[in-house]
Amino acid sequence: MTYGIRPFTNRSDDGAPILDTNNNERLMRVQPNVSIVLGNHAPESNGTLYISSKQVVWLSDADRAKGYAVDFVSVSLHAVSRDPEAFESPCIYTQIDTGDEDDESESSDSESSETPMDLSKITEMRLVPSDPTQLDTIFEVFCECAELNPEPVEEEEEPHNWIFSADQLGAGIDGDIPEWNDIQIPFTIGHANGDDDLASSVLELQINDQRFEDAEEMESDNSDEHHH
Amino acid sequence: MLFFSYFKDLVGGEVTVELKNDLAIRGTLHSVDQYLNIKLENTRVVDQDKYPHMLSVRNCFIRGSVVRYVQLPPDGVDIELLHDATRREARGG
Repeated sequence: MTYGIRPFTNRSDDGAPILDTNNNERLMRVQPNVSIVLGNHAPESNGTLYISSKQVVWLSDADRAKGYAVDFVSVSLHAVSRDPEAFESPCIYTQIDTGDEDDESESSDSESSETPMDLSKITEMRLVPSDPTQLDTIFEVFCECAELNPEPVEEEEEPHNWIFSADQLGAGIDGDIPEWNDIQIPFTIGHANGDDDLASSVLELQINDQRFEDAEEMESDNSDEHHH
Repeated sequence: MLFFSYFKDLVGGEVTVELKNDLAIRGTLHSVDQYLNIKLENTRVVDQDKYPHMLSVRNCFIRGSVVRYVQLPPDGVDIELLHDATRREARGG
């Protein structure tokens, strides 16, 4: 998994980013006329923002070799920023997880316009649409996509065990605290005893429709006989 | 799932979310999802001197995986209910 912001140049002929459609990546929103501000660097203007179900991509309109992307799993926080004292233009403000926990809190201070940009160290990104009325919509698309990209399950992590014993399931249904248990019950059904039952149910559902074919053949046979 | 249920009960209340990068944001809990992603409204940054650029933000979405702590209002905790629910969850594990 790649943390942080990375260069992105993989465009199709019409200028749109080439997405990983084999893994169900799909385009959620296109926003033209968006500037991007990485860390404390100068704004880069005249680009198009592409929000996919996996990542945020900004592509320069003029320079086909220039573009940036960040996966939603690396977008720690996003917000609508409107106070001109904090930033001159209303924008989507994001904090980026670079995967480098040690200097995360101070790196934004050490960035400046003079130093060459190291994308992997950028911890803040602002997206400035020329049409600020679009900010709330973009914010909501970000929220939606963040939910589509939960944390990848780490192997070393102890797996959650959602299987409850039968008496606990009973206690949950009896429900002295139903509000807290009704969410757990679907998990119990799904994992503890759902799979086997489902498989056998599917088998039982297969309808033996042999007799329908027979009836049809007989009918056609009969009609043949009538013709004779 | 316990904490998802628990946080859902706190929606509308005032919380402070402390991120793993030390940023702490106070605001009204607007919503929480199953990954404990948190949406806050009427936000303000606790340490405004350190994060002046966050002053302008009125609502924000915080990824569940970057949250270190959520500070709760004292009256937002029903200790009896929480005891009981954690005991159930522990028995199930």
